[in-house]
Amino acid sequence: MYTQFLGNYLLQQGLVTQDQLFNAMSRLSQTHIKLGTIAIHEGLMTANEVDECLYVQTREDKRFGEIAVERGYLLEDQVSELLSMQTPEFLLLGQNLVEDGIFSYEELERVMFDYKSDTELYDLSLDVENQDAVENIISKFFVMAELQPNDLNVMYLELMFNSLIRFIGEDFTPLTPMVLDEFPITFGVTQMVVGDHEFETHIDCDRETAIAFSSRYAKEDFGEFNEYIVAALEDFLNLHNGLFIVNVSNQLSKDISLSPPYITEEGVISGPNKCVDFPVAYPFGTVHLIVAF
Amino acid sequence: MDITNKKILVCDDSILARKQLMDAVKEVADGGTFIEGVNGQDAVDKYKAEKPDIVFMDIVMPEKDGTTALAEIKEFDNDAVIIIVSSVGTQEQLKKAIQLGAKDFIQKPFEKNQIKEIIELRLGGK
Repeated sequence: MYTQFLGNYLLQQGLVTQDQLFNAMSRLSQTHIKLGTIAIHEGLMTANEVDECLYVQTREDKRFGEIAVERGYLLEDQVSELLSMQTPEFLLLGQNLVEDGIFSYEELERVMFDYKSDTELYDLSLDVENQDAVENIISKFFVMAELQPNDLNVMYLELMFNSLIRFIGEDFTPLTPMVLDEFPITFGVTQMVVGDHEFETHIDCDRETAIAFSSRYAKEDFGEFNEYIVAALEDFLNLHNGLFIVNVSNQLSKDISLSPPYITEEGVISGPNKCVDFPVAYPFGTVHLIVAF
Repeated sequence: MDITNKKILVCDDSILARKQLMDAVKEVADGGTFIEGVNGQDAVDKYKAEKPDIVFMDIVMPEKDGTTALAEIKEFDNDAVIIIVSSVGTQEQLKKAIQLGAKDFIQKPFEKNQIKEIIELRLGGK
């Protein structure tokens, strides 16, 4: 999830445009990490040293690792170690942005440093995401919305991001959440979570976005708006909420259940307290996850 | 696998879930009569009318939920073969479904292989 968080950070800081980010995100699955990127991340080379080796590489027919060893920036053992490392995806996002000319390696190094300070992610383990760190960042989404984070709502949002990665695709960026008195519905589906912990959930988007979202979920190409689109949105929300209540029930021994999801095409969503809009931007459009507590 | 003489009741309020389930069965078996139900009450009514060989049923459904429908169908026919297909699976609900006589539980989104195994196991030997 660090990749999606990094995307959110870059957008918030105005360091990339949404189009630049989507372009870089869309190539993640085809991207291979470069030795220079990972060497910077591991603190073994500076951005300037990497740039120098890349420059030499354009003039000499040698591998990056060979050049870095020749110049004394890396030991041979370190090259082997770097090459065998698991690559965290957020590094690929940074590398793609460098390749697109959005950042230099030096700027990327600085951005990553600032990002780590901002999110207090000092221990960015290479292949395993630290659960506390993820929860810490998720909590910040609630703080951004001026809402008190607690175990349940942090769990809900974390699960939502995971569900999106798992069932729709990893190429999304969570945008800044907003607290609203009421949310005007464009089109979407709603489902109530009832029991010890009651709240209303809603997925909202325009119809074109719904077609793309549902096509990805159902792994079918729905060319036009039809009843399957609505059903896929309902299924996704029901599935996600289902996973949530299973977690809550198994971990916290709370008794909660779900009402069947239903289509909502007009009106507003409003809860006894506040609504929170958690927008996520996909290349095909923005989807709003609304939770009315 | 030929299931020409078999009746399959697929009960889910989601038209997409019904379609995907029927697509999955059709991919692994030829023939068969599909009966669709859209809620728990519909499942009970159609079971009584059609006596299907196997039932795939969701839990969260309007009017009557899957667990209540499961109990009513089992009361009518204790030999009913009912497979729960649901995204919701708390330990409590699972326990209840099994106690009520569900033969299996498939978590959504399902893999086609899971459907294949169930069809082969439940309809293959008959």
